[in-house]
Parts: sequence; structure tokens; C-alpha cells
Amino acid sequence: MLDIINLHAKIGDKEILKGINLHIGPGEVHAVMGPNGAGKSTLSAVLTGRPDYEVMEGSILYKGEDLLAKTPEERAWAGLFLSFQYPIEIPGVTITAFMKAAVNAKRKAQGLPELKTADFLKLMKQKMALVQMKPEFAKREVNVGFSGGEKKRNEIFQMALLEPDLSILDETDSGLDVDALKIVADGVNTLRSPQKSAIIITHYHKLLEYVQPDVVHVLKAGRIVKTGGRELIDAIESQGFDQF
Amino acid sequence: MGHGKYIDPFKAGDSLGLRPRNDNVTPSEASVSHHRVKAGEVLNLEYVVLPGESKDIDITIDLVGPGAEAHIKALYLCKADEKVNFHILMHHRAPGCRSIQLINGIAGGQAQVSFRGTIVVAPDAQQTEAYQENHNIVLTDTAKVDTRPQLEIYADDVKCSHGATVGQLNADELFYMRSRGVPEAEARTLQMLSFLSPVVPAGREEEIERVLRSYAE
Repeated sequence: MLDIINLHAKIGDKEILKGINLHIGPGEVHAVMGPNGAGKSTLSAVLTGRPDYEVMEGSILYKGEDLLAKTPEERAWAGLFLSFQYPIEIPGVTITAFMKAAVNAKRKAQGLPELKTADFLKLMKQKMALVQMKPEFAKREVNVGFSGGEKKRNEIFQMALLEPDLSILDETDSGLDVDALKIVADGVNTLRSPQKSAIIITHYHKLLEYVQPDVVHVLKAGRIVKTGGRELIDAIESQGFDQF
Repeated sequence: MGHGKYIDPFKAGDSLGLRPRNDNVTPSEASVSHHRVKAGEVLNLEYVVLPGESKDIDITIDLVGPGAEAHIKALYLCKADEKVNFHILMHHRAPGCRSIQLINGIAGGQAQVSFRGTIVVAPDAQQTEAYQENHNIVLTDTAKVDTRPQLEIYADDVKCSHGATVGQLNADELFYMRSRGVPEAEARTLQMLSFLSPVVPAGREEEIERVLRSYAE
């Protein structure tokens, strides 16, 4: 699914990723844990093609293709999805207009016809129910006036609607209370399948109690310093990141 | 009052910033109007300037009777070498009058846009409410927007505000939409539509959307 090979990346003059290697197979869920400033968000930014981040060295293969050669929208069409740590507000654009444009662009790229409005609205309603978003949110402007929990649910709703093959959840658990966390986790678990992979980026064990990762990585100062199983989560919880 | 669209403002010293009005420009079409609004009357003015049109829009409004109202909504969209000038003079001459102005536009290509808006509140015009907003998005390094809103208030019991911004399409919104698979041109269209929506006259939504789609390509 994803092969990251010796990835070095910087923003401005500051090198943040200093040689990341990561292999994620189909159906695998990997947790990337690390303290603030380790490079977790830079990794998700580089994977999704955010401007301002520059790859200095290394490569990323996604489904065997050069991911870095693709635009952000081409990456989305190929099945990549990022749940933003800080979802962006888009005043004046409704969730319906936004998601209809996104879904139909992806269908077009796949050679499929556009969804009829009625079919799209029906699909949207189903996916909103998955994260317990009220139907009236369909007409709201994207993330404008949403609480922290509503923004994160909106991210997982979009993920459910776009059915990505590789989802990156960037600090999706931050700022969520227990109830919202469970709703988000249930949504994520529903989307798990033997073909679909995920990267869960967090500095906290909370979400990982509900969404069980297959592999856990510790990211520190721009490098993966340790890879293991769930036992790493317990080790981090009891002794922090200084042990690595 | 203003629309909540986020734009990335330019900083002082940016090459796209303020620039003196070029008085040598000869606009292809001028629209000069003078309106007297009497007690209790409401004046509604709407202007749409589409790509390819150069216009000089010169409006003078006198609110002469108590409780008179004036509403101006204007939209411009330039993509080549259009020259669009707004010159709006709003006189509050009687008490209890209200005026609301909203002028939003997008300048691309080598367009030159200027906005001069003045609100004058006379000493007798107590309980005046006067608002003026001019928001502009500049898409290219070569387009110029120069905006100067002005207030002259000679009464003391008034509610007045004016605001002007010149900026670019918000980059974070653009990336967020692209990351969901919305093609860049479509994302820009959605942003521009939402920026202009407060000034699109009722019934012309589809027309403006059509123009914007061809504009973003």
C-alpha cells in the first residue's frame, strides 16, 4: 500500500523529517506516536502534498506509484485521505456542495458517471448517521461555528463518504471528550477492511484503546526510533517518550 | 454586516497593495447617477460588472428626508485589462436615515480597479446608520486594486462603520478542498462564489456561477 523510503522534508529552512522509513501493507493500521515537534504533522502534510513542505530526499510509493509526483487532488482520487488535526472552515460553502464536488471529481477520475443529486443526498445521509451528525449539518457551511467534536466528526464523515484506501488520522483524538471519541472510533472501525489501511498519528493512547493498531511506531526528532506492537503504547503511557 | 469569507490579506509593502488611481484611464462606459431619497423611501441599487467590461460607476445619493434608506450592492469580476472605477458619495442630510453599501469583486489579469467611497453625515443627521464595505480579491501580480473608504461625520449620535480589504483566495481552504479531491479550478470557483454571494442580485445566481466557472478555467 505505502512505502516511505528515507524521507527527508523541510518547511522553510528547517529540516523536520530526517530519514523516515515506513512500510504499510493492505489492511494494516499503524500508529505513529511521538512527542510534540517530532514531525508527526509534517509527515501527514508531505503525504497529502501540502504546499510549503519540501521533500529534500527520499521517495514515497503508494500502490506502486510515485506519490510525490501527484497533486493533492490526484492523491485523493487514488484513495488517500487525511483527517486534519485542525479542520479548515470554509465560509460560504456548504458541506453538501463541498462533498458533492469531491465525490463527483473522484468518480470522474475513476471513469464513473456523476452521482444524481438524490442518490448523493441519500448516500450522504447514511454516512452522516455513521458519526451521529444531525441531517441539518448538510446545509451548514463547512466547519463554520462547529465545536471541536463536531469538526472531528465531520472529518470522519467525509472519510466514510470518500471511502479511502489509506486514511491518515492526524491527532483526531485531540480535543475530544469520551463520547465524541467513541463516536469517531466507531466510525473508523466500521471502515476497517482487509484492503483498507490507516495511519493513526497521535501523542496520546486514548484513540488507540478503541481503534487497535497492528503496528506502533515511535517518531522522535524526525526519525522512527522504535517499531513494535501494542506493548509500545503501554510503555509510552507509563514512561513517556524519553525512554526512546 | 460583512460576509465572513476568509481571505489572506496582503501585508503593507506587497507588490499587489495600494496604488494611486490612474487618472489617464478612459473607461469605455460610464454610469453616472444622482438619487434623492425622501422621507420613508427606500432606494435599492445593484451593479454587476462582468469580465470584459470596463466601467466608471459614479453614484451620488442624498438622503434628504427622515428615515430614508439606501442600499447598494455591487459586484465586479475582471480577468483581462478591464478598468473599473467606483465613486460613491453618500450624503446623510436628515435624521434617522440608513445606508448600507457592500461592494465585492475579484480582479485578475491586468485589471485596474479603484474604489472611492465617502459617507458624509451632516450635523442635523442624528441617529444615522451608515455602513460601507469593500472587499477585493486579487488573483494575479499584475492586477491592481486601490480602495479608499472615507467617513466624514458631523453629527454625534451615529452608528457608522466602513471596512475595506484586499487579499487573495485563502490558501488553507484551497488545500483542504484539494485534499478531498476537489480539483483546483473547482475549489477556486467555490471560493469565489462564496466570496461574491452576498452581492449577487437575486435571480442572477446561476448566471454568475456560469461566468465564474469559465473564469476559473
